[in-house]
Amino acid sequence: MLGSVKLYLDNAATTPVSAAVREAMLPFLGDAHGNPSSRHALGVEASRAIETARARVARATGARPEHVVFTSGGTEANNLAVLGLARANRSAGRHVLIGATEHPCVRDPALALVEEGFEVETLALDGDAQPDLDDLARRLRADTILVAHMMVNNEFGSIYPIARLARAVRANAPRALVHTDAVQALGKLAVSLRGLGVDSLAISAHKFHGPKGSGALVLAPDVRPRPLVFGGGQERGLRSGTENVAGIVGLGRAAELAEGEREIRTAHMRGLREILERGLAGIGGGRLLFAREAAVSPSIAAVLLPGPPAEVWMHHLEERGVMTSVGSACHARKGEISPALSALGLSDAEARQVLRFSFAGDTEPSAVEEACRVLAELEPSLAPLAR
Amino acid sequence: MTPESAATSVGPGLILARYGELWLKGRNRSLFARTLKRNVRLALRPFAGTRVERGHGQFVIHASERIEEVVQRLQDVFGFSSVSPAWRVRASVEEIAARAPAIVGRALEELPRDRAVAFRVTTRRADKSFPLQSVELDRVVADTVLPVHGERLRVDLSEPELALEIYVRPEAAYLFVERFQGAGGLPVGTLGRVMCLLSGGIDSPVAAWRAMKRGCHATFVSFHSAPYLGEPSKEKIRRLARALSRYQRAARLYQVPFAAVQEAIRDRCPEPYRTVLYRRMMQRIACKLAPREHSAAIVTGESVGQVASQTLENLRCIEEASELPVLRPLIANDKQETIALARRIGTFDISTSPEPDCCTVFQPNEPVIRGRVWLCRDAEKRIDVERLVAEAVDGAELEVFAYDD
Repeated sequence: MLGSVKLYLDNAATTPVSAAVREAMLPFLGDAHGNPSSRHALGVEASRAIETARARVARATGARPEHVVFTSGGTEANNLAVLGLARANRSAGRHVLIGATEHPCVRDPALALVEEGFEVETLALDGDAQPDLDDLARRLRADTILVAHMMVNNEFGSIYPIARLARAVRANAPRALVHTDAVQALGKLAVSLRGLGVDSLAISAHKFHGPKGSGALVLAPDVRPRPLVFGGGQERGLRSGTENVAGIVGLGRAAELAEGEREIRTAHMRGLREILERGLAGIGGGRLLFAREAAVSPSIAAVLLPGPPAEVWMHHLEERGVMTSVGSACHARKGEISPALSALGLSDAEARQVLRFSFAGDTEPSAVEEACRVLAELEPSLAPLAR
Repeated sequence: MTPESAATSVGPGLILARYGELWLKGRNRSLFARTLKRNVRLALRPFAGTRVERGHGQFVIHASERIEEVVQRLQDVFGFSSVSPAWRVRASVEEIAARAPAIVGRALEELPRDRAVAFRVTTRRADKSFPLQSVELDRVVADTVLPVHGERLRVDLSEPELALEIYVRPEAAYLFVERFQGAGGLPVGTLGRVMCLLSGGIDSPVAAWRAMKRGCHATFVSFHSAPYLGEPSKEKIRRLARALSRYQRAARLYQVPFAAVQEAIRDRCPEPYRTVLYRRMMQRIACKLAPREHSAAIVTGESVGQVASQTLENLRCIEEASELPVLRPLIANDKQETIALARRIGTFDISTSPEPDCCTVFQPNEPVIRGRVWLCRDAEKRIDVERLVAEAVDGAELEVFAYDD
C-alpha cells in the first residue's frame, strides 16, 4: 500500500529513522540486551550506553547530563513538566500560564490541573499570531508557579520568543518556572536550556530521525518535578521503569546528529521552502502563511489553498504519492480551528483550507518540485470546488 | 469461576449450548444443525482441544481450559438460546448426589456470605427410564447438599439465586448452576447470502448484524470517494467489517471506488437529487457484485424518516434501481434502539470515530425530500450509467477478514 513514499512531506508528524541511528540502536535489539540496573557485565554495557546517550542529549540541549530524564516521548516529557512541576511547587502558588497554541500534551495536563485546585490561564496572541508579552506581564503574579510555552508551533512553524518570555517571567514572577515544548525545535533552531533561560524543555526522538517512543525532559539544576511514574527509581526517581535502552541510544545519536548537522540541514530546508513558495506563485489563491523568515521554522510551511477544505487537496496529493498533513496529525481529527489562524484574521472556512508541508534534512528538492507540479495540475479541477 | 476456586474444586469440563428455534424447522433441521456445528467449530478454532458433539436439542462442547472465554464466544454464535458450563456424571442417583455438594460449594464461593442464599434444585429428565421422577431426584440431591452447605442456603423454589439444574439423559447426566443468554437467531449461512452495504455510520453495521442473526451470510460492500477522502475512511470500514466478523468468523469486503460516479452526478445531474442518485448507483453496483457472492438480496441500514432524505418516496427511488430485493432490517427502528444495539454488538465506538464517509462528498445543499422515479431516470440519461457501474465494479477491491487473524 505504501510502497512509494519518496514524496514524504509530513516530517513534522514524524521522520524516518536514519541509517546511522538505526545502526546505533541495533546492538541493543540484539545481543546487548542487558537490564541497565543489573550488576553484571551485560547490565553495565546497557547502563554505559544510556549514559553516553544522556551526555549527547545534554550537549545538544545545553544542559548537564545528570539533568536529562528519559521518557517515552514528547507527550510524557511535557506531561511530566506540566503536572510534575506544578505539583512540586504547589506550596508556592497555584497559578499556571500556558500559550495559546500549545500541543494537547501540554494543554490537556494543564487543564487537568484545574481539578487539583490550580488556576490555569491561556496567553493572548498579537496580530502576528505571536504571544503577546504585554499580556503576559499583566497576567504574571506573585503566586504564578509555572509558565509553559512551545518553542516552535507544530502546525505552522511559528518560532516563539522563548528567551524573552523567560526574562519577562523572571522579572514579574520570581517563583515561576518556565517550561518549553521544544519537540519541533531541536535540529531546526538552537535549543539551549541555558541560552533560553528556561527551567525545563521537552524533546522527542522521532521528530529528528530517531525512533518513536523515546524522548526526554531536560531540567535546569535544582528543578525537580514530582514524578508521574513510580517504581524502581530509575532516572533519579523521576521516571521509574526499566529503561528503553535501544530507544534511548537512538535518541542520543539522533540528537547528536540533529544538532551537529543543524546548519546544513536548515539551509537545505530553507531552500525547500523557497521552492514551494515559488511553486505557489503559479496557483491562484494559494499562499504561504507565516512567511516572515525570521519567525518561522524552515521545516514547516503552512499553505493556504483555494477551493475545498485542505483535506481534499491532501488526499488528491496522496494519490500522486505526496504525503502532507492537515494541521497537526494530533489535532486533525478534532476539527477545531487553531487560535493562531484566527489571530491572523483567517475565517473558519479559510482555516480549513490550510495544508501543512513539512521538511527534513533528507527531503529531496525534487519531491517539493513534484508537489508543486501536482498542485498546479490539480488546481483547475479543485480550486473551483466550494465544498 | 475464578482460578482460585478452580483450585479448590474441579471446574466444569464441558459446556452445554442449547439451540432454540432450530426445532421448528422440520426437514431443514439437520442442515441447520450441521451449519451450526461448523459455525461453532470456526468460533472455537483458537481454542485447541475443544471438541463439539451434537446432542439432542443441544451441543456439548468439551473444553478443558479457558471455559469462560469459550462461553463468551458461544454467546456470539447465532442459533443458541442459552449456554451453560456443566459437569457430566454417570446417569445414576448416587453419582449425581455425590457430585452435587462440591458444585454448589464452588458456586457459593462467588455469592455473598452475609445472608442465606436462596437455593433450589431443578431436574429435567430426557430419559424417562431413570429410576426417580424429577421431583424425587430434586429432593434426594437437596438432601445431600443441604447438610453440607445448610448454613449458607435457604430453600426458595420460586426465586432462587442459585439453582442447581440436573439434566438427565440416557448416556449421562449434566449438572450446572449457570445459564448465559445465547445470541438467538439462526445459524449464519442457513438462509443464504446477502450483500450488506456498509457506510461508516451507526446504522449499516447494525443492519448487517440483524441480517446475520436471521441466518444470512453477509458480504460487505462499501463505497469510497478517494481521492476526496483518504485511507483513514477506508480503514474505518475495515475495522467495522472485522468487528462484524465476530458473528460469522470471516467477512468479505468490497471497497468500491465511487468518486468518478459522484463527479459525474455532480457535474451533470440536478443537485437536490445527488444523494438519491448516489444510492441508486450503489444499488446497481452491489447487484452486479452479488452473483460473485451468490447473494440473493441487498441489505441497507435505512429506516423511514431517519434523516430528511429517507422518506418513503426516496426509498422507493433507491429501490427501483435494484434488481434484487432490498432488505432494511432497521426500517422501523428508533435511532436510540439502533444505538443501543450498536453498543451491544461492538460497532458503536468505531462508527462514531469521526471519519467522513463518501456521502459527505459533494453533499447537496437541499436534498430532495420526495424524489420521483421518473426524474431519477431522466437525470441518469445524462450520465453513462452502464460504464460508470462497470468501472466501479472493475475497480472494487476485495479484502477478507477473519476475526481471529
